[in-house]
Amino acid sequence: MCESRMVLVEIRSVFKTYHDHVDVHALKDVTLHLERGSFAAVTGPSGSGKSTLLNVLGGLDRPDAGNIRVGGTDLTAIPADQLADFRLHHIGFVFQAFNLLPVLSVVENLEFIPALQGVSKQKRRRHARDLLKTVGLEEVGSKRPNELSGGQQQRVAVLRAIMTEPELVLADEPTANLDSANASLLLDMMERLNREKGVTFVFSTHDPQVVRRARRVIRLKDGAVVADETQTPVAASIST
Amino acid sequence: MLFFSMAWRNVWRNRRRSLLTVGAIALGLAFNIFMRGIGDGFHDQMVDNSVRAEIGHIQIHRFGYRDDPGLNQTLPAPQRVAQAIRSLPHVRGYTFRVLGGGLASTTENSSGVQILGVDPAQEQTVTTIQNAIVQGRYLDSGMQRPILLGERLAAHLKTSLDDKVVLLVQAADGSMGAELFRVAGIFRSGAPEMDAGVVFILRSDAQTLFALGDRITEAALLLDSSRQVPAALDALSKGLTGEPVEILPWWRVEPFLQQFIQIDDAFFYVIVLIFFVVISIGILNTIMMSVFERVREFGVMMALGTRPRQIIKLVVEEALALGLVGIVAGSLIGSALTQYFARHGINLSSFSAGAAALGITSSRVYSELTLGNLVYSNLAVLAVVMLVALYPAVHAAGLRPVEAIRHV
Repeated sequence: MCESRMVLVEIRSVFKTYHDHVDVHALKDVTLHLERGSFAAVTGPSGSGKSTLLNVLGGLDRPDAGNIRVGGTDLTAIPADQLADFRLHHIGFVFQAFNLLPVLSVVENLEFIPALQGVSKQKRRRHARDLLKTVGLEEVGSKRPNELSGGQQQRVAVLRAIMTEPELVLADEPTANLDSANASLLLDMMERLNREKGVTFVFSTHDPQVVRRARRVIRLKDGAVVADETQTPVAASIST
Repeated sequence: MLFFSMAWRNVWRNRRRSLLTVGAIALGLAFNIFMRGIGDGFHDQMVDNSVRAEIGHIQIHRFGYRDDPGLNQTLPAPQRVAQAIRSLPHVRGYTFRVLGGGLASTTENSSGVQILGVDPAQEQTVTTIQNAIVQGRYLDSGMQRPILLGERLAAHLKTSLDDKVVLLVQAADGSMGAELFRVAGIFRSGAPEMDAGVVFILRSDAQTLFALGDRITEAALLLDSSRQVPAALDALSKGLTGEPVEILPWWRVEPFLQQFIQIDDAFFYVIVLIFFVVISIGILNTIMMSVFERVREFGVMMALGTRPRQIIKLVVEEALALGLVGIVAGSLIGSALTQYFARHGINLSSFSAGAAALGITSSRVYSELTLGNLVYSNLAVLAVVMLVALYPAVHAAGLRPVEAIRHV
């Protein structure tokens, strides 16, 4: 496989400034490449631009300058109404506050994205139940999110993100609301999905445990990349 | 289906608020159905009373009679007219009349009157004047020049049963006609103008009085229902093609009645409009609150790939779910109320004088439940609900996911 086909994400000279009372330069000339199958952590102090980087990478926000290509599609060139479609088919999101849809059961939450894609109910339900089984959550399928623990909710959120096997999963502080045991369980699961299904994960985090488990660590400070290191991840402390 | 299922569940997240909104929709709709039912019943009774009192559903005259109702304007080809009427479906009866003006005099007083010369048997199939007799009896062909007077006219003329009344008229040939009649009966129709200014005599006597020979001036017919009038008008127009006749429905014979109904309808619609505006504000408030409480949820949905129009669909479907529950409840309440008063009526005896002036001779007004009322009322509420939902729906769809996700 040639190098260009291995590259999933190309970020070139991206700038993003928020205009509030004062101008805040959230991203300054960020250039990065991420290969398919990456398991990368974006880290840095608060206000360093981690969430902004994930937002522009996921097509939730647009940079002021520069280009972002995901799977060959230039996100800065497609119209706003097509960005929703792009996210639907190519990107999975995991949020800090879990953000499962409260009126849907766990299985229905997993079915939400495939339903938007037009996958038949029978097929998506079977897939949702299979996925739940792989992480030992098959018994909570019919429960509502508020009946689950935080750790269970976040694992369901990760499953939702990978239900349709997107090219890229972006996780914004996925362990921030979890205790260390649940954070570890979540990371185990994400690692396994990365290893076995080849899902590309990029997560922003403050959590040293998450950083230690990443194979690549991108450090931001004041909107600029100050370090980009490949490392040998620390082995999982708790297995699923 | 996923969105409607979500919408339905979202509606019941705040059960109390939704129930209050459903209650407001249901009450508004029930009020609308009931008021429309009362209005329909009231109008139908007015029309029916007028139609049955004198005018019939349709009248046929010589062309131009309505503008210049002279005795020289007699009905052409009465046999062909009778044949055309008899060939219509839903005809309850028809009558040929002689109409003219004159002066009614007694030894005590005199008064200008409208004289109706009728065939007693034919007239009974169209009007209910025989039921309005309060003294004496109805006309009979065997009587010697009988006359029926309205109660007010009788009082004005200071006359009573078997008294003599002279009718003085200008006949068709220009001569003065005068005949002596004997009071056979006194009627109380409930319509003040009729009771004070109309007399009934035998048609043959009227033809003699007005020197008309065997000619008549008017044909009037009664159908099973006023809803059959338009079709009957069409059929009569075709059946009497070539004859110089004018075929008039009741609303052209009594335009005041039609105008009153239209004004009453307009007044009803203004009240309903005000009611709907108040309800709309309630619905808007509920949906806006529901949207503002879920900004983050909408942000997440959009981040996951939900398109703005799907967000609009979700919010509108939530309003639709609220509306449908309200519509079912409102239709049941409104129909039950309307049906109850269709059976038992509303007692208007305290307002009998005013009601009589409007042509309501019964002491009770009966509501009427029609399919049209139900369908239009339901559609109106549904349209209001959907319209009201559009603003919050568009607002939700316009959220920026990156900001909405962080909404607290």
